Amino acid sequence: METESLLIKLCLQAATDNLHAVEKWRRQRRSLERLPSHLAESLILRLVRRRLMFPSLLEVFKNTLEKIDLSGQTSVDLEWMAYLGAFPHLQSLNLAGCPKISSSAIWPLAGMKNLKMLNLSRCPKITDSGIKHLLSIPTLEELSISQTGVTSEGVLLLRSLKNLTMLDLGGLSVTDLALCSLQVLTKLQYLDLWGSEISNKGASVLGMFPNLIFLNLAWTKVSKLPVLSSVECLNMSNCTTHSIFEGHGDKVWLRKLILTGATIEDISEALTYVDTSSLSLLDVSNSSLQEFCFLSCLVALEYLDLSSCPFIDEFVQIITYIGAKLKFLNLSNTRVTSAGVSVLVGRVPKLETILLSNTPTDDFAISHLSAMPSLKVINLTGTNVKGQIQQLGFGQDAVQSLAELQNLSCLEMLYLENTQLRDASLSPISKLHELNHLHLGGPLTDISLCLFSSIQNLIHLSLHDAVLTGPGLNSFKPPSNLKVLDLSGCWLLTKDDLLLFCRRYPLIELKHELYHFVPSEQSISKHLSPSGVATKTGPSKKKERTLLVSPTMLKKDEFIDQRLKYSREELLALQHSSVSLVAFDNGNLIPELQ
Amino acid sequence: MKKEDTVKLISAEGFEFIIDKKAAMVSQTIRNMLTSPGSFSETEHGRVSFPEISTTILEKICQYFHWSLQYASGKETEFHIEPELTLELMMAANYLHT
Repeated sequence: METESLLIKLCLQAATDNLHAVEKWRRQRRSLERLPSHLAESLILRLVRRRLMFPSLLEVFKNTLEKIDLSGQTSVDLEWMAYLGAFPHLQSLNLAGCPKISSSAIWPLAGMKNLKMLNLSRCPKITDSGIKHLLSIPTLEELSISQTGVTSEGVLLLRSLKNLTMLDLGGLSVTDLALCSLQVLTKLQYLDLWGSEISNKGASVLGMFPNLIFLNLAWTKVSKLPVLSSVECLNMSNCTTHSIFEGHGDKVWLRKLILTGATIEDISEALTYVDTSSLSLLDVSNSSLQEFCFLSCLVALEYLDLSSCPFIDEFVQIITYIGAKLKFLNLSNTRVTSAGVSVLVGRVPKLETILLSNTPTDDFAISHLSAMPSLKVINLTGTNVKGQIQQLGFGQDAVQSLAELQNLSCLEMLYLENTQLRDASLSPISKLHELNHLHLGGPLTDISLCLFSSIQNLIHLSLHDAVLTGPGLNSFKPPSNLKVLDLSGCWLLTKDDLLLFCRRYPLIELKHELYHFVPSEQSISKHLSPSGVATKTGPSKKKERTLLVSPTMLKKDEFIDQRLKYSREELLALQHSSVSLVAFDNGNLIPELQ
Repeated sequence: MKKEDTVKLISAEGFEFIIDKKAAMVSQTIRNMLTSPGSFSETEHGRVSFPEISTTILEKICQYFHWSLQYASGKETEFHIEPELTLELMMAANYLHT
């Protein structure tokens, strides 16, 4: 969808403010008929989200609408379909995850003239009888029925939809026989069969789809694949893989290969018939791979995921041979150490993302990483990083290892949760000006929180299990762009501390076990174009304030109670009482929190 | 204000709105018409006709231009839109890229 301009946004807001506003424009039939499809779509989406949409209102969009996304809407049912089925120009209909959509509910879609794309994924009430309704839509090109109640019998029926280019049958018990019957769908480019009952016998007919580009066979019993010369993306995760594309003729020019969790006996043998020089994405995480020499042939690789593989330092040398184009490297949960990281320095000029979480790397890794200038994302969660490097010899101060990250001018995201970082070693972080995501955790205190005020670009700040106090949070001045503050596990904070913060900064989403505050759409738009009402005095002002802080609450009633109960002065007084609790009586605080 | 600094916007019914050129430039479409070299007659005469946009809507659009300039300079006021104008205004905004 296009991003709307400010005026269009304001119009959409005004049009969907309440039912009364809707009544004002719903009779403007001529205007509605001229409304461009993308505006009609935005308008409907907003009406649905604001629960102002009802089936008969859909009718006014009958002649304009080409595309509608109703995924996940619990209210959508047979009545909605009765209207949508009569929309002459509707091309794309997304009903994924609509719980009320059943086989009989989609009956009105039968015979639609222009429908090209239909998504019914995760509608458990769709069964084989629902498929029969779809057979009279010959224009259908893209159909998703993954995780529905359709059986092999229903899949057999799909063979009459000759124009299908995309078919998602994920999670259905498709048998070899059903797949064979789909051979007539020669236009298919995308076929998703994860979790099906396809075996090697069924897979042998996949060669009959001459245009197939994407194939997903994850969680199936397929271990051998015939030559599929057109396939560019192949997913065989959690399969036992013996050979891919075995047969005569040219090697297959594969772009993406996903083998997550696969059991691979001999990877070199499995890849014999694959033209590995063109492969740009390889995911072998969690697989049974033991040796990695085959990587040295993958010269075009941009994305490499080796997480949870028995990958050790001595194999890192292989990555340096193919590092020229590498942008993404995941080595999480491997046994790579800082020494291994040092081998990569200077050999991966384009690397943007490196994930090293839960590896035995330490502060020396940070020094090595800071010599990779294109890095944007670094994940060192759960490593031995302490933030300090002890100098050899006595009497010398420790060096702050994080200071070296200042060399990385592009660094945007930094993950350092579950490390042994302390306040004292964090100070260099405040100089990482490009940083927009920062994730920390551990026994950090208010001192650290202060540091983050100066990182102007910060959008997401997460401080898990830190020892923050109410006064500390109260004196924290968030950076101007901050949107999310995640303080999960900060056990010293009370609900009142959190409420006070949310009231002061109503545009920031706050996450904590005791309280989850999500800025409401109104409060954001009010800040965008603050309403004149806000400047009025008297009771209306008070009303405006409650509107402004109208969070989607976990326990809404309780929140209202709290607000009525305390005045601002009282809240301030309470805040000091929590300080004294923290200072003098740590032990008693825990029962009080619950 | 000099004549060169203003621009004349003409509605479907023929009403003329003379507004600050700077304000009219809020619309990407009008900006292109006024600044693209030579090709548009609008560039020379400083007048643009909108046979598709009614007077009421064009008036609202002009108000929005001025509001938008004020808003950009930090003066935060509400821009009120009557619900009955929303559809037509949305289409005009879509056409004017504003």
